[in-house]
Amino acid sequence: MTGRHRHETFEKESAESLPNGTGAWHDSCIADYGLVGDTRTAALVSARGSVDWLCAPAFDGQPVFGALLGGSRAGSFLVGPSVQTQVSTRKYRHHSATLETVWSAGASQLILHDAMIAEVAGKLLPTTLLIRRLSARGSPFPAVINFDPRLGEQHRRPHIRRGVGLVCDWGPLALSLGCSEELNVEPGRPTYVTVHPGSPLTLVMAIAYGEPLIHVDPSTAWALVEADEARWQAWTEDSDEEIPFREAVLRSLLTLQLLTYSPSGAPVAAPTTSLPEDPGGIRNWDYRYAWPRDASIGVGAFLNVGKTPEARKFFGWMLHASRLERPRLPALLTLAGGHVPAERRLPDWPGFAGSTPVRTGNGAAGQHQLDGYGWVLDAAWVLVRSGHRLYSETWRAMRGFADQVAARWQEPDAGIWEIRDDAAHHVHSKMMGWLALDRALRIGRTHHLRTTQRDRWQQAQRDLAAEIRSKGFNTDKNTYTRTYGSSDLDAAILLLPVTDFEDPCSDRVKGTVDAVSQELSAGFPFLYRYPPGKDGLPGTEGAFLPCSFWLVQALALTGRRQEASQLFEALLQNANPLGLYSEEIDPATGTFLGNFPQALTHASLVQAALALRDPDKIPGDLPSPS
Amino acid sequence: MPPPRAAARDRVSCRRQDGQGKEHFRSSFVPDPAVTEMDWSGWALFGLLATAVLTVVMISAQMAGWTRLDLPLVLGTFLTPDPDRARVAGFFIHLVAGQVFALGYAAAFALLGAATWWAGALLGLLHVAVALTVILPLLPGVHPRMASTRAGPANRAVLEPPGLLGLNYGIQTPAITIIAHVVYGAVLGMLLRTT
Repeated sequence: MTGRHRHETFEKESAESLPNGTGAWHDSCIADYGLVGDTRTAALVSARGSVDWLCAPAFDGQPVFGALLGGSRAGSFLVGPSVQTQVSTRKYRHHSATLETVWSAGASQLILHDAMIAEVAGKLLPTTLLIRRLSARGSPFPAVINFDPRLGEQHRRPHIRRGVGLVCDWGPLALSLGCSEELNVEPGRPTYVTVHPGSPLTLVMAIAYGEPLIHVDPSTAWALVEADEARWQAWTEDSDEEIPFREAVLRSLLTLQLLTYSPSGAPVAAPTTSLPEDPGGIRNWDYRYAWPRDASIGVGAFLNVGKTPEARKFFGWMLHASRLERPRLPALLTLAGGHVPAERRLPDWPGFAGSTPVRTGNGAAGQHQLDGYGWVLDAAWVLVRSGHRLYSETWRAMRGFADQVAARWQEPDAGIWEIRDDAAHHVHSKMMGWLALDRALRIGRTHHLRTTQRDRWQQAQRDLAAEIRSKGFNTDKNTYTRTYGSSDLDAAILLLPVTDFEDPCSDRVKGTVDAVSQELSAGFPFLYRYPPGKDGLPGTEGAFLPCSFWLVQALALTGRRQEASQLFEALLQNANPLGLYSEEIDPATGTFLGNFPQALTHASLVQAALALRDPDKIPGDLPSPS
Repeated sequence: MPPPRAAARDRVSCRRQDGQGKEHFRSSFVPDPAVTEMDWSGWALFGLLATAVLTVVMISAQMAGWTRLDLPLVLGTFLTPDPDRARVAGFFIHLVAGQVFALGYAAAFALLGAATWWAGALLGLLHVAVALTVILPLLPGVHPRMASTRAGPANRAVLEPPGLLGLNYGIQTPAITIIAHVVYGAVLGMLLRTT
């Protein structure tokens, strides 16, 4: 017995045989996880109190806790009740990134707080610092700690030494664990403690990569969490107070912030790889990279809630990152703006719910996606419309993108959904190409633009519009379609009212919104992104959550605000208890599918709320120059 | 007997005459501080030229999409966040920095007692090794508009940290930077004279 915490180490027990079943990592569903992060990396914490995913030193680094996809051999960090106990509440502390999990047994409760410290610059603190604090209410509560870090693909065990605390070392990467009480924590072996009311137990895990470890005194670590909470609270309270469904929007904005890699400003699509879109299937992709499309949506989302620096940061990242391949716009980039590694399968990783292969890298990086240019130029236009003048270098880059669209719009592309089948003439891509030229021409009215360039863009825009209207519209169904000449639909077309391509009140727009919401319905309030299974891959997938938020936006912008509000409220009911969303959802069971939490879903939620607030403001407020 | 300056010039250019009046080039560096001096006029002119060559190599590589390292931008954003103004300011800062470094090269040649293109190239290698492994990684600590890998959400810096060897600015950045600095050193070694 040490201090007030009794602890024992059970030499022969493994994670699989813990009394609370904590070794059974696969019994967690995706929605059971909460996100804690420091804007450089992030951890997923299960409802059992287990950190099952954490990559170091950044989002796209190697996992040090990978049980989410690799099973118990891939490492995890459990802090929770030592006997199976139901979670009674799980929430973020008010407007902060601190996760609070409460287990109740009779009149007593065990409370776990998880937080990472975002602001470490200018302080003698480790780059990554995870603080986990256990406290009890009512009566003493038995708890267990199982700290089992393993590095990377081979689940490498660390070299272990003891100094100020426990130090786990893999060469350049080192990780230390300190505790406010003297506990003999052995990696991979559970340590049992009893937490007494009024005497919280704090665990501090620091990560160092290529630099010395900085130990943080666990007894003072909570003060860092409180300072971090205060900063997040100030940030959220500084947002526009008129936003409808403010709490949900603020949680989404905060999630988008947690998924922004602060050193470069890159928006990370999701902190995970290979969470399945089809449980047991092969639709498992690595999302730990940054898509210029997401950055562009983020620009609008942040700008319209009064967060100009964040909007500019996203735009700045996009400009900087796209520089190597300009005027071509890559579909995705690494957090530092480099080429995304080639897609690779991790052998022997069992995957989430048996969904293999587990992949790293992303093969979509080399695809031609015409829509990306539209998103980027629209983001530039949003900035200009808000009174910001583009630097001449920025405008030069935008002109290059517009030239690229004018030169390549006739080519087939992989589309927004990154179809790995043959390239096709996707109507959404063509519309976004049109949007790119439209926005470039609008910006050109207040920025220097050569007449020949303007004429070239106008000509391409006219040709594109004519082609989309003739080949991309199905008169029998009165809707725009997925590809030229096809009768299939695509939920991405719901962005039509945002583009100004057609009058939002026109029959064509209304017909398209109605057709998509009916034909691609997965049962209220969900939509499939395209007819299930029609993507050249085996298996099927769930409803695509961003599309449902796009439908909210489309309804709001076409004068159907009440329907839009109802749909939005229904979608909010489907968040996990922490207000987080994955990419997809099983419409029958409500089970989350795909990588989690997903930036595109949260950015779309914000955009939908803004459309409900300002149904007339989202499209360009100046007449189209064409 | 030649006038003192002419004699000095002969020593500077590492030439000597044997008893038969035949001219020999020195085959190795023999430091001779008593007789070597800085080539001030060469430094003033060729420092600028070498910096211009280095800049051309870097900007050409950047335009070819091989690296995102933009030295004028990095230097100019010490003064202004506007990238266009920063480039102009940074270009002049870069010229001044190039002159300062050229001073170091000229001093090194004077110490060595000779200046050759390959000695300059070797100094360029040393220079770039320090730049890539020391100066660039330290830059986020002093640059007001450059983030560090420890940056948090309050960070308002606009420039991404270069990372070790500048790899964050593209995988070919170290190679391009090495080439540019070796060329810089070689140009100085070829043109400077120790007097």
